Amino acid sequence: MKINILIKGQAGKGPNILAKIIGNVFTKWGYYIFISRDYGSFIRGGTNSNQITISDKLIMSNENKTDVLVSLEKNEDNLFIGKKVIEKEGEENMYFAGRLAKLFGIDFEFLEEELKKLGHFEDNLANAKKGYDDEEIKFKLEKRNIFLKLLNGAETSAEGAIKSGLDTYFAYPMTPATSLMIELAAKQYEKNFFVLELENEIAVVNAALGAAITGAKSMIGTSGGGFDLMTEALSMSGVAEIPIVVYLASRPGPGTGVATYTSQGDMDIARHFGHGEFPRVLTAPGDPTESEEVMGQAFYLSQKYKIPFLILTDKHLAESLYSCEKDAVVIKSQKNITLGRYNSYESDEKGVATENPEIIKKNIENRLRKKENIAWECENFEMFKIHGKKDSKNAVIFWGSTKGAVLDAISELDVKGIQIIYLEPFSSKIADELKKMNKIIVIENNATSPLSALIAEKTGIMIKDKILRYDGWPFFSDELRKEIENKIGGNS
Amino acid sequence: MKKELNTGVKSTWCPGCNNFMVLAGLKNAIAKELEKSDKDDIAIVTGIGCHAKLFDYINMNGINTLHGRVLPMCLGIKTGNPNLKVIGFSGDGDAYAEGIEHLIHAARYNADVKYVVMNNQVFALTVGQPTPTTKLGFKGKTNPEGVKLSPLNPIRIMLASGASFVARVSSDVKQIEWILEEAFKHKGFAFIEILQSCLIFNNINLKEKMYLLEKEGHNKGDMGSAMKKAEEFNYDSTDKIPIGIFYQKEREIFEDKFKQLKDLKNKGISWKDIQR
Repeated sequence: MKINILIKGQAGKGPNILAKIIGNVFTKWGYYIFISRDYGSFIRGGTNSNQITISDKLIMSNENKTDVLVSLEKNEDNLFIGKKVIEKEGEENMYFAGRLAKLFGIDFEFLEEELKKLGHFEDNLANAKKGYDDEEIKFKLEKRNIFLKLLNGAETSAEGAIKSGLDTYFAYPMTPATSLMIELAAKQYEKNFFVLELENEIAVVNAALGAAITGAKSMIGTSGGGFDLMTEALSMSGVAEIPIVVYLASRPGPGTGVATYTSQGDMDIARHFGHGEFPRVLTAPGDPTESEEVMGQAFYLSQKYKIPFLILTDKHLAESLYSCEKDAVVIKSQKNITLGRYNSYESDEKGVATENPEIIKKNIENRLRKKENIAWECENFEMFKIHGKKDSKNAVIFWGSTKGAVLDAISELDVKGIQIIYLEPFSSKIADELKKMNKIIVIENNATSPLSALIAEKTGIMIKDKILRYDGWPFFSDELRKEIENKIGGNS
Repeated sequence: MKKELNTGVKSTWCPGCNNFMVLAGLKNAIAKELEKSDKDDIAIVTGIGCHAKLFDYINMNGINTLHGRVLPMCLGIKTGNPNLKVIGFSGDGDAYAEGIEHLIHAARYNADVKYVVMNNQVFALTVGQPTPTTKLGFKGKTNPEGVKLSPLNPIRIMLASGASFVARVSSDVKQIEWILEEAFKHKGFAFIEILQSCLIFNNINLKEKMYLLEKEGHNKGDMGSAMKKAEEFNYDSTDKIPIGIFYQKEREIFEDKFKQLKDLKNKGISWKDIQR
């Protein structure tokens, strides 16, 4: 069973809070939820929408359909959307929460509990009660005893960083990376770490490296444009061997691109950033639990090998709300840096700049060896995961935030899902997995399919079948399922 | 503590370069500062250019960092360990061209960082191109018609940006030692420009035009007087170049504004010491 609810309303009227509250109510009522947000580059006035999908089974994506439309304004277009339309002028957002709760036969107390977490409790409660009384039960959902948490990727990334012992976080505001900064800024006092916004991304990365050489566990966050500005300093972290964790939440580029939408167009810069040759790790978690777990690995590996570690995510994963079933496992790491003599030049063992060919060669070979050791050690982590029908000869291969839509799309198909989490290094076992397949389809939220190029580079396997979406939107599971079925052609 | 500051690394500065005076003054000042503590608690940061070679000639912890990024690196070190004394060094290209945005914000933040700009009014390591403080008309291979763009006046920029300590000295060992001592005593961001020459690409003698503000009864607590003094030399042509402390007025420092950093300072520890 799946129900799709679309909540739309003017930015500033609180459609996002409404969606989160109602999502939490459904979660407590025992249902799996997925909520994605669609918003433009404006603060007040434009229309925001939240797409909520509810299911009795695990889901991690939306479908491209609307069963119930909730509109905070009257609009003649509303008539054409959904089997059930809830629209009313002049009511506050929690009025609609009341109506939705009633529509699905949820006890009012469950909504009341959630409202206690917000300000203006008396007003919200009165509005919700009014809405509850105005509506009738239409799609009765039975209460189920399942314990779930509704979280987005930014929240779990913050949690993962804090559990990994984050000391200093530096950033310059940029959507969609700012949601992590907001989470961390709110928790810095209780958990005793430090969040600082500086004049630009260049200052951000250099200050983070400064903190790192004193021994602090240091992290930065940005999106594509800001990342471009940081890459010179990240190249220095390669030669000077300074650990740094980079949270790169990408959005559609090039240039300013489409600031508040989603895309996977930055894999190549994330793999190849910085001039010169030096080791780095690039990972792409696919859901909030993986976002938290990868953070532990980021601090562990960056401290141990004194390297830049990138976590590549995007707006869809950072800001969509997922039902999380299990607690993440975040590994512990030591602080491995002591203040000494660091150098952006190639340098000798005393930290003195050198032009000596023997030392240059030795340093480069040390870094190459480090790269091999990192690749070897990463095999201890889940560098890739197998989902779906494990003995199928059809495979879809994907990375990052497409995970949710892909897993939902293949749940009833004769298809195996291969999810790549470590993009650099690339597990040596993936080639064997691919060789077993009759049919392989690459699925990505971009136009040029960097994953196909990566697989070709690392395994020699050329994949021709691709499903690519590059209009700023994430995949919808129902549409994606049809596209996969078309590609595998009657095999399922 | 006593520490051997010499590294034994052979210098590649040109014979007679003003930078040798800066290095000598710096070593004297650092030796004195180290005596005040039983810890090796000073970090230095250099940029890229001739000035930056001093990182190899003085046995101090820190980093020889990227061109233009000395100040965010200094701020990061302070954030990582507020108990360290941090001195940054830049050339005029580093400070006034590539990294000018950081300079303005560093003055605004007022972290307890000492910043020395070794200004020879030319890019020397890249063999003679103009910087933002090069004289009008200066000719080089990259600007055969001579410099046409007016120079910046960094002293005015620093005053306008809220720097709590603004000074200029010549490349004289005693002056450098003195001004660094004054800067160490000052709580907050200290901007020191060393106005020097480059024997190869900008061999002009400015010393004979210099006069000491301290001898003129200049009121360094007064912004208006400081601005007037700053305007006496526009980095192009002049009869008089004021040196000494233009402005000094302490205000709350960066590290004291944030509870987490203040706690580290009070306990005498860094983030490194916090095990979680």
